[in-house]
Amino acid sequence: MASLIYGKISNFSVLKSFHHIIFNTESILSSKKSPILQVVTSRNGQKRFYATEKKVYQRTKPHCNVGTIGHVDHGKTTLTAAITKVLSDQKLAEAKKYTDIDNAPEEKARGITINVAHVEYQTSSRHYAHTDCPGHADYIKNMITGAAQMDGAILVVAATDGVMPQTREHLLLAKQIGVNHIVVFINKVDAADAEMVELVEMEIRELMSEMGFDGDNVPVISGSALYALDGKDPEVGSKAILKLLDEVDKYIPTPTRELDKPFLLPVEHVYSIPGRGTVVTGRLERGVVKKGAECEFVGYTKKLKSTISGIEMFHQILDEAQAGDQLGALVRGVKRDDLRRGMVMCKPGSVKSNDHIEAQVYILNKEEGGRSKPFTSFIQMQMFCRTWDCSCQVVIPEKEMVMPGEDSKLILKMIRPMVLEQGQRFTLRDGNLTLGTGVVTTVLPKLSEQERQTITEGKKAREKRLAADGGK
Amino acid sequence: MLPKVFARYLHIHSSCWAAEKSLLASLRKKTGYTFTNCKKALELHSNDLVHAEKWLNQQAQALGWSKATKLEGRQTTQGLVAVAINNTNATIVEVNCETDFVARNRTFQEMAEIAAQTCLRFTEQQSHITKPLTKINLDSDELCKLQAANGKTLSEQLILMIGSLGENATLRRAVCFKADNDIHLSAYAHPSGMQQNNVLLGRLGGLVAIRPKNEKEVDIEVLGKNLCQHVVGMDPKKIGTSDDEPASNVDDETCFIYQEYIVDDSITVNEVLNENDVEIVDYKRFECGENINNSSPLSTIETCQ
Repeated sequence: MASLIYGKISNFSVLKSFHHIIFNTESILSSKKSPILQVVTSRNGQKRFYATEKKVYQRTKPHCNVGTIGHVDHGKTTLTAAITKVLSDQKLAEAKKYTDIDNAPEEKARGITINVAHVEYQTSSRHYAHTDCPGHADYIKNMITGAAQMDGAILVVAATDGVMPQTREHLLLAKQIGVNHIVVFINKVDAADAEMVELVEMEIRELMSEMGFDGDNVPVISGSALYALDGKDPEVGSKAILKLLDEVDKYIPTPTRELDKPFLLPVEHVYSIPGRGTVVTGRLERGVVKKGAECEFVGYTKKLKSTISGIEMFHQILDEAQAGDQLGALVRGVKRDDLRRGMVMCKPGSVKSNDHIEAQVYILNKEEGGRSKPFTSFIQMQMFCRTWDCSCQVVIPEKEMVMPGEDSKLILKMIRPMVLEQGQRFTLRDGNLTLGTGVVTTVLPKLSEQERQTITEGKKAREKRLAADGGK
Repeated sequence: MLPKVFARYLHIHSSCWAAEKSLLASLRKKTGYTFTNCKKALELHSNDLVHAEKWLNQQAQALGWSKATKLEGRQTTQGLVAVAINNTNATIVEVNCETDFVARNRTFQEMAEIAAQTCLRFTEQQSHITKPLTKINLDSDELCKLQAANGKTLSEQLILMIGSLGENATLRRAVCFKADNDIHLSAYAHPSGMQQNNVLLGRLGGLVAIRPKNEKEVDIEVLGKNLCQHVVGMDPKKIGTSDDEPASNVDDETCFIYQEYIVDDSITVNEVLNENDVEIVDYKRFECGENINNSSPLSTIETCQ
């Protein structure tokens, strides 16, 4: 019970520390609501009126997140401006000027909450949020904290310069953040000739193949974002932009919605109701649950099969619950003592418990509420995820220490297996400090019993063991 | 796409065009200069590959200059810190660029390596003025004037790199250590693992000079490296003496000797030093892009503590 309360409290403070992210997103979302009349009183007492017409966001098309990557001078921002310009002619976007995108002050503010989404637009088939990649470290940080996610990317290369040495690093980032679908835009063809464009295309395909992308089949479109913006020569201007968007529509797949995945509910509480049976409560994280569905409880080295014989929400009976619903489920044939907070109820066979993972983690700096000192391998931390928490040992694979404010790859060894999968977000804490937040990148093979025992051993014992191993 | 169709049309109907295209491709592949420049070179030398290449290499400096002038003034906050040691000489250099993508690129890493090697050679040539350790601070302008092993000055080398990477870059600062023979110098760069011919590269770097007080058997290599890692990780503000009071909260401790040792937080640095019978002579830490107050003019030679 004590650990349960502790878990709740600390989860709450985790939430609190991320509150500003949510708040930021909310303020962006709220700015899309009904007409607002804003009255701003300036310092000398004059009143100014700003009347802005705002539309209500209509969810009629599937949503997709894209981003532009490429060298600073190759025209990423110009391309973004051109896309909005061309689409605004079809009433599918609001035209943004180059300076609007480049100089938005709130988006320039750095920290854990940076540029969630720069620009939105839609094509005839999809709605897009468009992000610009500021830098490697910045983007990784956004990705880990969940502030930004890209389903696909547009790589911008200028025909005049060709592939730059650092394009390799841009593609490496895409690979690292799991973007497998890249559409290439060869920009500035107004300043180059057909021959150069063709050679740049060859070069980029070669590099992409080398970096592990499908270089031969990557869509490559050439055009001039500048001409599209100025309304000159539609052949390389606006038409090229439309062609690019068409390829983005076709080549970058729409992400699977949470609703379409097999259902999963992290168990928050377990109750025993006399005369009825055991009820578990929680928020359905994904999928759809129907009354009578087969289910499985996984966690704490246990695995139990059962059937959902009833679903309730707000004391009312439901036939079907959808992702996002807070519900109680009556389960058949399991005792209350068999179930615990931290387990998950899911479609049988859809998840596994794991105790050994590789993760990309952002370590908070002191200003963000984290540690002031760096840490080294073998440090013990408490890992919080969904409704469970678990003690784990941290191993730093690529460097000797991790500084606050840095992102790093970490290997986590947990004292007991819990439900974890690739892409899962979690928080690391130590005592009353939130140390960092991370995302699971790879699930590693399960620990052996012997390995599990080494997690909790002290420094002296470890040194002794390592020395003995070395001597053999 | 029309230009492509157009190009293909020419490709079929003119064999001469095809030859030119392969020339441009091979020149680009060989030199790595931008397509615009490769094309210009071929045009100027009536498609003579050898001459065009020669011209490009001659022009590289000028082209780099024009690029550098264009990019001048753009902020450089990313980059690398390079540290290198050669017996009693050591150096730590900071080179900046605009994005961390470039900092991860080999071309840029090579530049940082050249800068560090050059500073190290410069240190070796200096006279040992203040015993036991001469510390030389170099600012951006002084760094630019140093001559690298290939005869070019560092600024010329930097210009060439700006030309190829198309991003502004600067040589920011350097500190060189020249020590007595009984002093052991150690270097560390974080994140560790990036290394080019004895030069350690990272976002943070540190140098530590320690001196064994007597003939006690200690693994000075490991001790030095760990102390240096400590400097990089814990950012002590001063070495401190026994006159200094330890801070009430150990997490706020800025005095080197009173800080918790990074390798083992159950002991302080002072305990480590006493146990191994060594003393810290001096140290230096660079963090890439950190603020340095330029309010007081830097004297070229600084006396050690």
